[in-house]
Amino acid sequence: MVHFLMFVAFPVVFSVVLTFHKWNIIAPMEYTGLNNYILLFDDKIFLKSVGNTLIFLLIHIPLQIIIALFIAEILNQKIKLKGAFRGAFFLPVIVSGVVVTILWQQLYGFDTGLFNRLLTGIGLGKIGWLTDPDIAMASIAVMATWKNVGLYIILFLVGLQTVPTQYYEAADLEGANHWQKFFKITLPMINPTIFMVVILSTIGGFSLFIEPYIMTGGGPLNSTISAVLYIYKQGFFYYHMGYAATLGLFFAFIILAVVVVQKKFIEKDH
Amino acid sequence: MKRFFINITLLIIISLSLQSCNSANGSSDSKLIYWCSNNSYEIQFAKELTEKWNKNNKDVSVKYQPVPEGRSSEEIILAAVVGKTTPDIYSNMWQGDVEVYAQAGVLIALDTIPGFLDFLAERCDSEVVEEIKSLDGHIYQIPWKINPIMLIYNEKMISDLGLSNPPKTYDEFFEASAKFQKDIDGDGYIDRWFGYSEVLVTWWQRFFDFYPLYLAASGGAPLVKENKAVFNNEYGVAVFKFLRTLYKKNYFSKEQLSARQDVFLSEIIATRFTGPWEIAHADKFKPKGFEYNFSCIPVPDDHKGPVYTYGDPKNIVIFKTCKKPQAAWEYVKTLIGRDGDLKLLQLTNQLPRRKNISTISFFSSYFEQNPKMKIFANQSKYVRGTDASSVLKEVFDLISQEYEACVIYGMKTPEQAVKDASDAVDLLFLK
Repeated sequence: MVHFLMFVAFPVVFSVVLTFHKWNIIAPMEYTGLNNYILLFDDKIFLKSVGNTLIFLLIHIPLQIIIALFIAEILNQKIKLKGAFRGAFFLPVIVSGVVVTILWQQLYGFDTGLFNRLLTGIGLGKIGWLTDPDIAMASIAVMATWKNVGLYIILFLVGLQTVPTQYYEAADLEGANHWQKFFKITLPMINPTIFMVVILSTIGGFSLFIEPYIMTGGGPLNSTISAVLYIYKQGFFYYHMGYAATLGLFFAFIILAVVVVQKKFIEKDH
Repeated sequence: MKRFFINITLLIIISLSLQSCNSANGSSDSKLIYWCSNNSYEIQFAKELTEKWNKNNKDVSVKYQPVPEGRSSEEIILAAVVGKTTPDIYSNMWQGDVEVYAQAGVLIALDTIPGFLDFLAERCDSEVVEEIKSLDGHIYQIPWKINPIMLIYNEKMISDLGLSNPPKTYDEFFEASAKFQKDIDGDGYIDRWFGYSEVLVTWWQRFFDFYPLYLAASGGAPLVKENKAVFNNEYGVAVFKFLRTLYKKNYFSKEQLSARQDVFLSEIIATRFTGPWEIAHADKFKPKGFEYNFSCIPVPDDHKGPVYTYGDPKNIVIFKTCKKPQAAWEYVKTLIGRDGDLKLLQLTNQLPRRKNISTISFFSSYFEQNPKMKIFANQSKYVRGTDASSVLKEVFDLISQEYEACVIYGMKTPEQAVKDASDAVDLLFLK
């Protein structure tokens, strides 16, 4: 109870109170009414940061589900070195996010990065993976997918192993091919796993911070600034605590809304 | 959200730790606590001068200690202010932060201490005294040290271009850049640039490109004055145009090169805007036969008069928690007296902010032994710090946003970008 009051209830109540104040930590709080909320809707960079986060999710979640499901399906077959493959795919998950980010920053380098060297090696032009505003967020989404996909492969593997084999045997007798079995049996049967993966990816994606913070600082042209990074900047670069709390609260409601919609959509589909 | 609360929690934890630190220090009425920077050279500086003070002043002793470890000393000071666990004296306060603390009422107005203004007038030019005045007319900081930003250049590369001196004006800079840039590996892309400046939009990165160039072009003009932007002028536009050309023509790289091996020492670039800290680094890591030197920041072709730059000043403050401000001031005087300043030079290779330092005979032997530091000492007459404003970081952030849009990506004309930055700063002050 004490833990709940100290670390859950108090911060939530305090941050709601903060939203009605201007506070830079060192000077006394100044009551500003709804001013922070008015500023929020006029803040183009915040709205862009929310848009960026949604773009990240739109790329990251489908990519992650498709790749994770594809690899899980392969690893669910009778193949050699299955355990080694599972371990290899899971390895990036346990590596520090900062390390992974720095590593990929090198891979994405315009002049010396491996990807551009491969492209020029086959006669193609270089790509500004992190310097082109149109593709920088996609580059980050690909990296985040590589980092996290191992976890979702494991979740899908668990889901796949719960599908009763009798269904596949019955489908075989009916003459169903591999794709028909996948779409008519596997996918509906692992729907709860897909739902869980979507929810986890969404929440994880909404908290996008380390990758843009280290790789791009939110640039170029604010194309990779995520909502959490922007809230962090407002709070801990500029000490606009009241405003940062307002952004945080507003963003929490966006996350809630998206998760509720996802839940309804997937349940309806199910 | 999660990180937000983690940081708030960390701030509380740091505050509590500092509270316990201070209790453990045994801070009492007769003992002053001095926080110095936590690099080994400055710790040595604080140690030597504090020991000397304690030997001669039995009534009020001083305990020095490095600022507690944290992500940044700024954050630690903030946590200390929140937790009311500030030391009596703190050196290394960035000049741009002082106004915030002054407005919060946590610093002592030093001009109210008898003898302070006389001492200051003897140490600093009247321009410096004006520069450090807060908006309420009081002075809350003691100018201590500076690290002027200048142009470092590779001597051999410059002479290979047929130049006897590094470029001084924008046109000379463009000419040298055009001659120098090269596609070394023949893949159709430039991979040797004349210079480099960090392309990140982070506000303080502009201390190493836009701001020193603006000060150089304008003869040290302010960015903001009386809560209004004053940089929408011919100098602001000229600097944006200059930088825009450097990126547009690929004279500077748009890629982040900082994660690679030092691009200056590995001769990928020929110049860089940097401070005197580069000397120790370059001397330690330069390849055999590599020679470098420093020059003024480039200026517009029609520039007349001295060339100013940004001095990155770090100053000393006395917190209101200090029970003996007069004694604290007496101690600070030993840190910034002539002996203290010489010790600072010898131990840290950082320049004291003292007028005519390059011509005072007391310091001449140091500069004879460190001729590259003499260049910075000569420049020190023409440096500016930051304007008095409690929203300086936001001001630089707004400039940085427009800088990126115009200079790096060419999405706006320099005129439009400078105007938009200026309008945004004015709006910021209105809010």
